[in-house]
Amino acid sequence: MSWNEQADTLVKAFTEAQTKMWESWCDLIRTAPAPTMPSYSGVVDQWREIASQGLKAWTGESEQVVKDLAKQLVSAQDVGMRFFELSLSTWKAMAPKIESGQDWVTVLDSYSAQFRQQFLQAPHGGVAAVEGAAELWRLYLEQWQKLGQPWVESLRRAPRHFGQAAMGDGSAPIELMNLYWDAYERTFGRLLESPSLGYSRELNERLLKGFNAWLEFRRASYEYQVVLAETWAKAFEQLNHKLVSVAQAGEKVESLRQLLFLWIDVIEEAFLGVFRSEEYIRVQGRLVDTAMAYRIHEREIVEGFLKASHVPSRSELDEAYRRIYELGKEVKELKKALHGVTGGRSARRKVQS
Amino acid sequence: MIPFPLLLKPEEVFRQLTELNRKVVQGIESLSRIRHDEFRSGATAKEEIYREDNIVLYRYTPMVERPFHVPILIVYALVNRPYMVDLQEDRSLVRNLLKLGMDVYLIDWGYPTRGDRWLTLDDHINGYLNNCVDVVSERHALDQINLLGICQGGTFSLCYSAIYPEKVKNLVTMVAPVDFHVEEGLLNCWTGCAPGQKNIDIDLLVDAFGNIPGEFMNFGFLVLKPFQLSIRKYIELIDILDNKEKLLNFLRMEEWIFDSPDQAGETFRQFIKDFYQDNKLIKGQVKIGTKQVDLRKVSMPVLNVYAEQDHLVPPASSIALERHVGTADYTARSFPVGHIGMYVSGKVQQDLPPFIATWLKARG
Repeated sequence: MSWNEQADTLVKAFTEAQTKMWESWCDLIRTAPAPTMPSYSGVVDQWREIASQGLKAWTGESEQVVKDLAKQLVSAQDVGMRFFELSLSTWKAMAPKIESGQDWVTVLDSYSAQFRQQFLQAPHGGVAAVEGAAELWRLYLEQWQKLGQPWVESLRRAPRHFGQAAMGDGSAPIELMNLYWDAYERTFGRLLESPSLGYSRELNERLLKGFNAWLEFRRASYEYQVVLAETWAKAFEQLNHKLVSVAQAGEKVESLRQLLFLWIDVIEEAFLGVFRSEEYIRVQGRLVDTAMAYRIHEREIVEGFLKASHVPSRSELDEAYRRIYELGKEVKELKKALHGVTGGRSARRKVQS
Repeated sequence: MIPFPLLLKPEEVFRQLTELNRKVVQGIESLSRIRHDEFRSGATAKEEIYREDNIVLYRYTPMVERPFHVPILIVYALVNRPYMVDLQEDRSLVRNLLKLGMDVYLIDWGYPTRGDRWLTLDDHINGYLNNCVDVVSERHALDQINLLGICQGGTFSLCYSAIYPEKVKNLVTMVAPVDFHVEEGLLNCWTGCAPGQKNIDIDLLVDAFGNIPGEFMNFGFLVLKPFQLSIRKYIELIDILDNKEKLLNFLRMEEWIFDSPDQAGETFRQFIKDFYQDNKLIKGQVKIGTKQVDLRKVSMPVLNVYAEQDHLVPPASSIALERHVGTADYTARSFPVGHIGMYVSGKVQQDLPPFIATWLKARG
């Protein structure tokens, strides 16, 4: 069988297997104890949606650890599927070239160079887009006094898109930009009217500082994603080298599982190597520090609004807890001193808060 | 030309994918029928002896008529729950020690709440730990008891033994970090083990979070081996889905791994800054409250147990203890396992408890 025929046959087998999977998940859902959802015409992404809802139906009354484990199981299956889809698309791309007489090692190296380029485009493109928009947002921020909550929401939803971008999903940076514009429209695009708020120099200063902290965090996140994306690309190249050394040793990879575990070992080694580097440690430290700095500014902004609304804040509660803690310690010391007259260690047995 | 190494036949691929899916679907069905009582940890009977704030001191019910006269107090880390030492009947360090005639106590540090954000190392070591030692000593009419410290609990036990050597008969440390500037440890690198490189600003972290969330800690541990622990582990799980006993064992471990308490902010601040970043323990610069910790004052017999494949506490970090303690009676013992394997490996549980019991009884 030629390379092209092999690739085509594999694609057909994979598609049939996906259909079978979708059918068996649908069977499972039809017999689930909880109410189910209508059936879909089958494609793999809809299988994922069905699997997710089927999980909820089957494990609805289970312990949390069981629910989490079931979710991990489906995720593991999903990872296997994604990996095989990636492998299949690689094989399909390579097959015509190998068929025409090129060496598979050269073809694979050239494919991974293209893959690396595609991977690295996503985070770098996002940096430029954010910097242009940031200037625009700053101008509007100086004119409007807004609650930053929608920005917090965008911050919380962003990591998923970062992850997808790191996987080479070209639409993920666009989704990220949409998040920011959406947050802008819902905040700076409308005036927040509240009798207890209104213009306040203190609030304005907090919002500006919070915004700066948020931008710093965004920049640090992108730097971090660039490092991860480079590592993914490096891992793919290392997989090629591994395949070459497997072939040179006269060994074969004869199962999906074997291929997947080979890939996991290679990628783990690639990431752990990067994790030890000074550059990664610096970038990770900056990511955490900017996230924490933003978190503190965010809290200060929220506390500004809470104060105006006569609601106790986190800082006030922490101060109260600190006083309780110090008083508790004082009481323990006093009890110890008081019971010390009864001698030795028996005093400590009385010390219970 | 090098032959292409991938030999994936289409019919075999089809069979493997459908088989994979069949196992996952059946596995979900099996999982949905499991109830918590079936995989609940903590096989061994115990009773509450003393309680102070959130912490509880337990005594495990002895399994012999006359236990060894010097009891052991197990001091676990703050970062995980202590029921790892009594995970299940055939994987229980506690149970095995009890069977060997030891009298075993354990401190449960509990789950810190926001109100515990201000608790310090002083509160944990000079406060709770010291009080628990006194309670156990008084119950047995002894001046000294045995301490068994695990992981960060081992580091705490070392500090305690240096401050109160007169209260500790024998000290056992298990997978305990001592020298924190070891570059083999990724955790050490990330928290800043290279001179002048502090990486994360711990003050900012604690000021932002208050208590450090258990999820944050757990994420950090998982990222040390991201693909092994987040993907490969669950793919391998598929092979045991039809074996209920193995599945229950897996669930127990899984529950423990993700049952991470929050870390009291001020305790975390000092531990990371003084121990991980500045490596003050081996320099004799750690102060717990007003008390200086000088490891040379650890004058009682010491048994130092470490794991040869430990990626959380590299062997070099534990082995360093020998160079810094003042005792002349120092024993080291290692096992070819990882950090968690020390408690859950069947082979280790066959050898380690008798080794500890024999060592302690010889110094009774």
